[in-house]
Amino acid sequence: MNHTPADQPQPAPTADAPRNGYTINGKLYFAEPQPGQCLRTFLRERGVFGVKKGCDQGDCGACTVWLDGTPVHSCLMPAFRAAGREVTTVEGLAPPDGSLHPVQQAFLGAQAFQCSFCTAGMMMTCAALTDAQKEDMPQALKGNLCRCTGYRAIADAMHGRAEIAEDIAGEACGASVPSPLAHAIVTGEARYTMDVAMEGMLHLKVLRSPHAHARIRAIGRDRAMAVPGVAAIFTWEDVPRRLYSTATHEDHLVDPDDSYMLDNVVRFAGQRVAAVVAETEAAAEAACRLLEVEYEILPAVFDPVAAMAPGAPRIHDERGEERGNIYADIHGEIGSVAEGFASADAVHEMTYSTSRVQHVHLETHGSIAWQGEDGRVHIRTSTQAPFIAKQKLCHLFGLRPSDVHVFTERVGGGFGGKQEMISEDLCLLAALKTGRPVQWEFTREEQFIGATTRHQMTTRVKLGARRDGTLTAIELHVVSNTGAYGGHASETLGASLGGPMTAYRCPNKKAAGYAVYTNMVPGGGFRGYGSSQTAFAIECAIDELARLLGIDPFAMRRKNMILPGDWIESAWNDPSDVDFGSYGLDQCLDFVEGALAKGGGLPKPEGEEWAEGTGVALAMLECGPPTEHRSGAQMRLLPDGSYHLAVGSTEMGNGSITSHRQIAASLLSARADRIAIVNADTDLAPYDTGTFASTGTVVAGQAVRMAAEAMRDSILGFARRHTGADCRLDDNAVICGNERVGLAELYAIGTRAGHHFEAKRKSYLSLRSVAFNVQGIRLAVHRATGEIRILHSVHGADIGRLINPMQCRGQIEGSIAMGIGWALTEQMVYDAEGRMVNPALRNYRIPSYADVPPTEVFFADTYDRIGPLGAKSQGECAINPVAPAIANALADATGVRFPHLPLLPDRIFAKLAPHA
Amino acid sequence: MKAAAFNYARAASVDEAVQMLVRGGGGAKLLAGGQSLLPALNLRLMSLDLLVDITGIAALRGIRVEGGTLKIGAMTRHADLLTSPEIAAHAPLLAKAIAHVAHPAIRNRGTIGGNLAHADPASELPACMLALGATLVIQGPSGQRRVQAADFFLGLYQTALAPDEILIAIELPALASGERAFFHEYARRMGDYAIVGLAAQGKPAGDRIDALRLVYFGVGERAGSCPAAARILQQRHSPAILAEAQAALAADLQPQNDHQASAAMRLHLARTLLARCVNELLGRAEASA
Ligand SMILES: Cc1cc2nc3c(=O)[nH]c(=O)nc-3n(C[C@H](O)[C@H](O)[C@H](O)COP(=O)(O)OP(=O)(O)OC[C@H]3O[C@@H](n4cnc5c(N)ncnc54)[C@H](O)[C@@H]3O)c2cc1C
Ligand code: FES
Ligand code: FES
Repeated sequence: MNHTPADQPQPAPTADAPRNGYTINGKLYFAEPQPGQCLRTFLRERGVFGVKKGCDQGDCGACTVWLDGTPVHSCLMPAFRAAGREVTTVEGLAPPDGSLHPVQQAFLGAQAFQCSFCTAGMMMTCAALTDAQKEDMPQALKGNLCRCTGYRAIADAMHGRAEIAEDIAGEACGASVPSPLAHAIVTGEARYTMDVAMEGMLHLKVLRSPHAHARIRAIGRDRAMAVPGVAAIFTWEDVPRRLYSTATHEDHLVDPDDSYMLDNVVRFAGQRVAAVVAETEAAAEAACRLLEVEYEILPAVFDPVAAMAPGAPRIHDERGEERGNIYADIHGEIGSVAEGFASADAVHEMTYSTSRVQHVHLETHGSIAWQGEDGRVHIRTSTQAPFIAKQKLCHLFGLRPSDVHVFTERVGGGFGGKQEMISEDLCLLAALKTGRPVQWEFTREEQFIGATTRHQMTTRVKLGARRDGTLTAIELHVVSNTGAYGGHASETLGASLGGPMTAYRCPNKKAAGYAVYTNMVPGGGFRGYGSSQTAFAIECAIDELARLLGIDPFAMRRKNMILPGDWIESAWNDPSDVDFGSYGLDQCLDFVEGALAKGGGLPKPEGEEWAEGTGVALAMLECGPPTEHRSGAQMRLLPDGSYHLAVGSTEMGNGSITSHRQIAASLLSARADRIAIVNADTDLAPYDTGTFASTGTVVAGQAVRMAAEAMRDSILGFARRHTGADCRLDDNAVICGNERVGLAELYAIGTRAGHHFEAKRKSYLSLRSVAFNVQGIRLAVHRATGEIRILHSVHGADIGRLINPMQCRGQIEGSIAMGIGWALTEQMVYDAEGRMVNPALRNYRIPSYADVPPTEVFFADTYDRIGPLGAKSQGECAINPVAPAIANALADATGVRFPHLPLLPDRIFAKLAPHA
Repeated sequence: MKAAAFNYARAASVDEAVQMLVRGGGGAKLLAGGQSLLPALNLRLMSLDLLVDITGIAALRGIRVEGGTLKIGAMTRHADLLTSPEIAAHAPLLAKAIAHVAHPAIRNRGTIGGNLAHADPASELPACMLALGATLVIQGPSGQRRVQAADFFLGLYQTALAPDEILIAIELPALASGERAFFHEYARRMGDYAIVGLAAQGKPAGDRIDALRLVYFGVGERAGSCPAAARILQQRHSPAILAEAQAALAADLQPQNDHQASAAMRLHLARTLLARCVNELLGRAEASA
């Protein structure tokens, strides 16, 4: 258990401290909260793990419980105040007879969750709403944030819309069957990384640098060591001096080995300086504050252009002099842009920029590491790439792969943020040194200052076209701020010069890209992965060029968009492994144009101060990364005739465990619920590169398809040999001629005969298909206040066949919500010393229910010949056209181009207001 | 992230609570709803030795009307204010404002006394106190004293309360006949603290507004009254008068530059709000600002 062990002195209770019991979900507990403890941690120490932490500040609502029937944020409730009162958590929501509460039933019916980290709190709020409050859901759900769903599925649940499909044998693919964990999710039984109690657990906390660039001269630890309960302190002198990259990819060479676990130079404010492990989090934190660090402050540089200049402070000085702070640069040209611009009737050139944003997966980073009785080390962690994390840990600690076990429980959102190994290493170090289990859970503040972000990019675009709109030249110059470390820098830079440029046919294209080290928090993988940044620039520029020529934005795009049969190319002559497995961009554009024209959504607000405009943007995304990517899947028929499926890939709310089961079920003509799935576990599942770059379906799903087909062939092959008749599968049986043999029986017969009902397959990503998305926006902007209201949102997605329509819609809606946040409300603000000023959800504003309008989502009718069962990637691509569509609508409304994200009221005000 | 260790004590009466504060010296702090205190403690932004819990003191809760005065106990929760018929009838400004304070789960715990003692410049409630001409009743080791709202809020998170004093009640003059309230705020995202907000109350008389109190929040280090603009609006309404009043705001307000908005934008929004307020109080259709 992670409460104060008995050997820690308990402060004496004061005379008037309550000694009465605590009723939690109808059970009476007699326990004394630690002084200062909030109800949230008190409940979790009692094993009530349905109560989650998203912020500990009252902003997110993940910790919502009822106190005598009234919802409160348990993180803001001193535990002792619950004495003598009734606390109800998600675990106590259902009636004792085993049925579900109506709200649980509604959330299940609408599958109103993805990672479901918000779900318990969301349901506790919803279940206590009065009818009047239900009339105003935006207001009622103000205090509950969800990063995954875009709130539409939650609204559906509250309106009693149940859309889950029946699980019919052989028909799982294409049906909205529920997640295999749906019941565990709505009852609060689903377990996440930190939802476990272990004997003897130590808690790890790190001290982070207040300086953006400094050399550590000395770290005095005596005062910190003296804090009662402190077990060990680690500084740069105590860690293996091995360089690595925290970024995870199959190919380790695509990221620079520029990081040490702990270093004697800190290169951004928020970087780890030292780690303390102690009996309690409080003791570890107290000790961190007592560490005496002597810093030698070094000059810092935050702007990548300044960092490229000669004489700029060097961030990694072991690198060659001539490259300076430029970590990666890419150049290419096809045709001749000089000729292209010379033959153009109109040229648009402008510099656009996109802002740094954080993933804000509701579950923060965290790991638990321990040495098992089997002599191996086990790491339970919140990651998108457990197998690569394992490789990195073996590398850092010199461990044999067979001695390391890395696994995930449920992962509370990732979005690319967990394509990074940033908590496992220190936990393992401490577990190895102390011999005890060690856990480390990031605070929300650490998530902002010490995890990765989307790369801030500045893009100069120059486009030329003939009078009829035909593009004659595209030129792009991208500067990406990778921050202090270069993980994902070259890959995101590559992606920035990929899809958004290939989407348009043009004989002359030129690109130059630079990823530059600065003393900012490092960039990382983030949904859209570099392509979102330049899609913003190019899609805005296409509109500007269309405006110069007096051409409609839809017509401009149709004139120039890539068509099936075109050679897919960006700005270099290398052939790629990308091809059209299917093509639905035309359908998406038609839909969006039609839906905007038809009207719908909200009317323009009254008053002449409100200006209205519409905008469109498109995006093309390669289904999967250009780097190597592979996945394995393994199936077994079990003695009872059901199946076991093991997949290496992580489920983080993207729905892969649901769709993988569906793929297997449909190939085995079975019901999805006959397949038990385990995933993301280096002991129990075959190797998988990781769930990122939209590979959950096209690579891992492909492996599942292959394994399921092999499983089917194995069963039918044996059945045929056994019965001598032609056989086919039918749910839990094989039908051979006129005979129906149950799979349990067949298993028994086959096993006796020495047959192995097992199959294992690996899939490798190549060829890659392409997915398309088109976003349409109608909005109103208030000229005097700069306020933007999205009135109508429509989206066309070409993601191939829908394995699970409801889930696909959820991925699109979640992406759109994230795109809206990026465009309008989210902003990481820094002071002159490079310290973030708003590392909290109170003022780093991810969209709440009220901020996300419903979107009409349309799916192109395509069937991909490359992806498994016709499906394509879907997890990322929908975000790319959102911000530019909003910016284009804003330009349409105001006649003014706002080239920099986010589109904040004060920026709009500064350009529009009369007295500005 | 758990709060640092400290002890707590439940006070049964205001006297006892005051004694505890006196004994605790600077290391003791009152705990009301905890909705501002706990976030700070969770972040370990403050350290203290003793929390004095005053939620058990029944005398500090409740809303009463006595004569022409509305008396609100300091421990009355936001949620109670929101649903109180007395507040709706006699202090509609407060009823409008409270709907903008945080979200339901916070309103279920947070108290008006805690909010005012916290004195967040972006909060809606201190501005309402100024606009309503509230009197704050305070108890300390040497007995009770009464402080006008205008003398209570001193600056950023600073009030006239001494460390051993307790805000026990708020007294508001009940809405007089003919008086009307205006409340509006601009926020980045629904439910956020305001970039600029305006709480106002006055007595429309024909096309003039008498006894007008204009108080902005989110502008400057504390809620800001604008007597100069209010005086101008006592004249007969005309576009010129409105413009004059809008111009006068520059003298009354000290808007700050921050990552939410520039000072210029804040002043501009304040002027926009003033036009809305005047139009609403005079019952006119919204004209352009
Ligand atoms: C997510 C979130 C959003 C919020 N949004 C808003 C908002 O939009 N607008 C807004 O106005 N507020 C907002 N708040 C703050 C909320 O209104 C708090 O409830 C309020 O500010 C403090 O009240 P409390 O009773 O919880 O006080 P506590 O947190 O218990 O105490 C606050 C401070 O006042 C002192 N104190 C408390 N009571 C007294 C007393 N009677 N006499 C003397 N000192 C006392 C305490 O010692 C402490 O220093 C928000 C809070 C959260 C967590
Ligand atoms: S954890 Fe309590 S509100 Fe976020
Ligand atoms: S499902 Fe709501 S945060 Fe993930």
